[in-house]
Amino acid sequence: MIFDREAPGVRRFLGDLLRDDAAADEGTQETFVRAHQRLTTIEDPAKLRGWLFGIARMVSFEHLRRKRRDALPAEPVEEPMQVDQAPSPEAVLLSAESDRVLDGALANLAEERRAALLMRIDHGLGYGAIAAAMGWPLQKVKNEIHRARLQIRASLAGYLDEGAR
Amino acid sequence: MTHVPQEELESLALGELPRDSAAQVEAHAAACPQCARELSWLRAEQTLLASRPRAGTAHLWAGIAARLRHPRRRPHRAWRISVGAAVAAAAAAVLVVTVRPRPEPAAPQATRQRRERPAIDPKALAALDRAEADYKDAAKVLEAEYARLRPRLDPEMARRWDETLTRARAQLGESRAVAADDVNVRMRVLDGYAGYLRSLRDVVQESEEAIP
Repeated sequence: MIFDREAPGVRRFLGDLLRDDAAADEGTQETFVRAHQRLTTIEDPAKLRGWLFGIARMVSFEHLRRKRRDALPAEPVEEPMQVDQAPSPEAVLLSAESDRVLDGALANLAEERRAALLMRIDHGLGYGAIAAAMGWPLQKVKNEIHRARLQIRASLAGYLDEGAR
Repeated sequence: MTHVPQEELESLALGELPRDSAAQVEAHAAACPQCARELSWLRAEQTLLASRPRAGTAHLWAGIAARLRHPRRRPHRAWRISVGAAVAAAAAAVLVVTVRPRPEPAAPQATRQRRERPAIDPKALAALDRAEADYKDAAKVLEAEYARLRPRLDPEMARRWDETLTRARAQLGESRAVAADDVNVRMRVLDGYAGYLRSLRDVVQESEEAIP
């Protein structure tokens, strides 16, 4: 069953985008309701996963747009910087608080950039599938994922530098 | 030296490359510090992301099934009273857990599996226990309501709901057993209780509407 196979990934993706468990649960339900209504429009079953993530992405952005109507303007997101002098990736993995820092770093990414990065690294979607899900040209997908990575690494490296002092 | 494109390193880190290509890229990385470092970063990111806990989803199906049968109906809030106290207690638990002092970074260790756990905060555990008890009380109210309605349901529908709730309870029980005294995992378990309550709410609501 499609739900059993794909719901855990969709729920996790929405949890990362919405950062609210109740909203992620409802978003998952909304995603599968919409998917069920449009299932006959899928021509290539191999593209099902990317298609579902595209719906989930729309659901999450609609939710966030509604939520922002009454919210204060978002803080500007810092542009990525190079981290050539950063501590080693092994040090990141060994850090006791790396999960927390990673979570904070993900939260600081702009939603669309975060969505593209997670589709690639956490859910294994290819660049073509991400481009279709996001409605972006392929080059934009590559640029956004690259920038997202630089931001994540800068956050992790910043935390480790702070810990070393 | 010509470097391997980042996308190819990424495919290697994600285990997507065929064996031959993977061996070639590994061989290049072994001789190229820049590509080796990039590959290490990619693997570290992937490991960190993959190691995060996963939320259960079995409890979500009842709500989807209900909405597919009644497309115009939105999830309603009829069970706010019984669920509200549990949610408030969970919010209090979250507050207690999240305002605890940040622990000092642990010294590097040999493997990720051996990382130190944060120290157990008795106040946080007590708050989590209270929130869990409130969730259980709220679940009892809704379970009793479902038990009252169940004999009047179509047997096939009752079987489906039983199956959904049993799966959700089993998932919750497994998560709770794994969580032990780990505060962060216990927080995820509370999310699981919240999901179970939403599932119960949908089942009760759907059952009420199905009974003539």
